[in-house]
Amino acid sequence: MGAKEVKPTRSELIELKKKIKLSEGGHKLLKMKRDGLILEFFEILSKAKDVRSELDAAYKKANVKIGIAEAVEGRITVKSTAFAMKDAPQIQLESHNIMGVVVPKIESSSVRKPINKRGYGLLGTSSYIDEAVDSYEELVEKIILAAEIETTMKKLLDDIEKTKRRVNALEFKVIPELTEAMIFIRLRLEEMERENTFRLKRIKKA
Amino acid sequence: MGLLQKFTRKSSPKQSGSGSNYAYVTARVRAMKSNLLPRETYPRLMNMGIDEITRFIGESQYKQDVDELARTYDGVDLFEHALNRNLAVTFTKLINISEGELNYLISEYLRKYDIWSIKTILRGKYCDASVEEINDSIVSAGQLSYPFLSSLSEKESYESIIDALSGTDYYPTLKGYDGTNLSEIENQLDKMYYTGLSTTVDNPKSNDSKLFSKFIRTEIDIKNLSTLFRLKNAGVEKDEIADLILEGGLHLSIKEIEKLLPLPFSEFVQSLEKYPYWENISGIVKTEMDSLVELETQLTKSNIKSASSFSHVYPLSIVPIMDYILNKTNEVRNLRIILRGKAADLDEEIIRNQLVI
Repeated sequence: MGAKEVKPTRSELIELKKKIKLSEGGHKLLKMKRDGLILEFFEILSKAKDVRSELDAAYKKANVKIGIAEAVEGRITVKSTAFAMKDAPQIQLESHNIMGVVVPKIESSSVRKPINKRGYGLLGTSSYIDEAVDSYEELVEKIILAAEIETTMKKLLDDIEKTKRRVNALEFKVIPELTEAMIFIRLRLEEMERENTFRLKRIKKA
Repeated sequence: MGLLQKFTRKSSPKQSGSGSNYAYVTARVRAMKSNLLPRETYPRLMNMGIDEITRFIGESQYKQDVDELARTYDGVDLFEHALNRNLAVTFTKLINISEGELNYLISEYLRKYDIWSIKTILRGKYCDASVEEINDSIVSAGQLSYPFLSSLSEKESYESIIDALSGTDYYPTLKGYDGTNLSEIENQLDKMYYTGLSTTVDNPKSNDSKLFSKFIRTEIDIKNLSTLFRLKNAGVEKDEIADLILEGGLHLSIKEIEKLLPLPFSEFVQSLEKYPYWENISGIVKTEMDSLVELETQLTKSNIKSASSFSHVYPLSIVPIMDYILNKTNEVRNLRIILRGKAADLDEEIIRNQLVI
């Protein structure tokens, strides 16, 4: 809002003063929110780093274990055994709130199953298969955890960015423009006051 | 002639010892054994890249299998299927050239491939796999031929598969399958296989039969040991383990195993010291074990070693034939380990540890 587009009236001045007060209050709150989100973000970032390295390790381990199982038992054995494992892990998606940001909470069940509840017969299989299954169960758990933490981190980052833009807009655009308009109206009103006084004096003289 | 009779290979009843052609089959097996790769080949293969190994396999006795499957598969899968096909053709040949009691013994031993294929077909149907996927995983190295097994995989439901097997020994077990208890049925089929083997070698009279009996009963011991290690390490209840124990072991009788069942893992490991298998596994087993892979490999090694140790004692018996079957299986296993291991970029040390040379 340019100062020249403003009507230099007393009611407009009162309106502007209200807007400036509101903007300054919002600016303060958004700044606090931004700082809070940044703190939360760094807390989650360290967790995400740990989970990511655990995920990498689990992936490497799963690759080695499935490699050994496929080498020793053959890919067709691994494939045939996988046919017997029909039950997919159950995933429940919930959400919770961190300073106004809605982040996911992923709960999983039946990812890890005991060796005798996996669906394949034990006499016809070997520990090569068991260990490949174990390592993939671990990998799926880590993927679910990483998905939750990394999505939270992404959502926080998006919100930090959004809040930062709002803070900057209020600090460097909205509040200065409103202040400028307020000063303009104040000066214009003073000027009008002076003109009025001068006009009255002239009328008195005449 | 029923479909089953048409597509099953020649099989003889148990008591027909006089009609066996031991001399002929053992002579053929001796010739076939000379085609097996010598043990010094494996270290050479270990130093080769995947391309060199596939070329080596493509120029060896597996050439025909590789050529025939090259239209359907490629890469490492082609070679794995070629190895399995060669194994199936070789074992089918053994069934076809043997007669009488010998045919019965070989067929009984190779029945594990039939069981494997039936399990694979049921598993495939259970998870709605395509017919091609199921057929890809079948190894027809037993009594049931590939056309019969693939006709089973084409059936719409597990009920019709079981109906098609109504004339076989598997039917009474398969009848109990209700579409949900697959693992139970798989275990029962495997138990049936070992019970059948154990019955086959019951009360051996001749010396060579005694050796064959020893071989089978050692295999049962090793299977029991492996089951005990796997389930005890996973903390499975003793009653559930007891259901999976096989009868007819050489050193580990049911009574002996019943004593081991209630023991905690550490005590179980210590109590194995008195058995002859301890010598082979003592360096690997610990009171707490994260991985049983090394142990399983060691048990396989000791099984093959024990079979090889007495394979030359009775040249005109089932023993050298079983030794050949084991060595052929091991050759395929070793080639697959090297090939798949290198393709999966496994450490050389890991690959070497899995080899049974």
